[in-house]
Amino acid sequence: MIEVKELTKKFGRKTVLNGVSFTAEKGQITCLIGINGVGKTTIMNAIMALTPINGGEILINGEKIHKHSYEKITFIPDAITMLPQMKISETMQFMADFYDCWNQKRADEILQFFKLREDNRLSELSKGNTAKVNLMLGLAMDVDFLLMDEPFSGIDIFSREQIADVFSSHLVEDRGVLITTHEINDIEHLIDKAVLLNNGIVSKEFNTEEIRENEGKSVVDMMREVYQG
Amino acid sequence: MKVNLNKREPVYVQVVRHFKEQIAAGNYEPGQEIPSRRELANQLKINPNTAQRAYKEMEEQGLIFTEGNNPSRITKDGKVIGTVREELIIQAVDAFITSIRPINIPVDDLVGLIKEKYTEIERNTRGDSNDRS
Repeated sequence: MIEVKELTKKFGRKTVLNGVSFTAEKGQITCLIGINGVGKTTIMNAIMALTPINGGEILINGEKIHKHSYEKITFIPDAITMLPQMKISETMQFMADFYDCWNQKRADEILQFFKLREDNRLSELSKGNTAKVNLMLGLAMDVDFLLMDEPFSGIDIFSREQIADVFSSHLVEDRGVLITTHEINDIEHLIDKAVLLNNGIVSKEFNTEEIRENEGKSVVDMMREVYQG
Repeated sequence: MKVNLNKREPVYVQVVRHFKEQIAAGNYEPGQEIPSRRELANQLKINPNTAQRAYKEMEEQGLIFTEGNNPSRITKDGKVIGTVREELIIQAVDAFITSIRPINIPVDDLVGLIKEKYTEIERNTRGDSNDRS
């Protein structure tokens, strides 16, 4: 489980996160929702210890993040961090060289799933296919938790559908997924839990099936209450 | 398999209803093997935990059964299947009455109209299947 407790983060004098608390469980898909600039990416960076925090703590399986945590959790940023002249096969080799938890068998399976060819260069790929390679590089790691920052952002509808298919497949089986998005329509039926951020705090944290069952509301209904209420 | 999902109703409830419809219509036969939870999640593009919940619900209602590690199957209990069929028919009729009631049509006229439309639809679908053959 990822536990974010009373997380506070300031940029200069501006407090972006003002005591954010939520959990993301293993075997579940948790979605961080918020309008742009609300601090979603900052939270992900904080979980990965890529940015210093001003208060609170973050626990992964009950422990503070340390260097071995990177074999348990991986972060997929919203844009690929490999060089454009690299072939897909070279990006995979790069990951294999750096991470013990890289799983080449799974990587090959994901390439097939997305219908990508490993001798293609990144510079030759469409935005949608580049996003799929980016996702593959994270999904192929044998880790307990996957953080995905805006995997649906700025790509065509068919690529979005293919990426959404990942979430109902065995590719995320039994792992914990924490995803940020504002394109909730793509994944409304795929997530277990939604965490709505507003004004530096968590306004609502709920199980999506429970909110449908107990209140007859959709995730978008809940968002409307927070962001337009 | 395709289900148009409503965003304000629990997904597991919609999945259970989908199975009931298939059973009532005879598209799923008694004892027929059904997809695994994972396959179902993938086909319907829903959360695997939700598929799991739907299967648990169907097992409790006696709609499906699982023996050991074998794939789950549709019930062979004719009584359960009959009840499902009855339940769906009543639900559909109730929904129909709710929408027709405000128009205030005498029930005998309505029954006549239903018979007429029903025959028409059956004639058309028979025509379709002739075209295909």
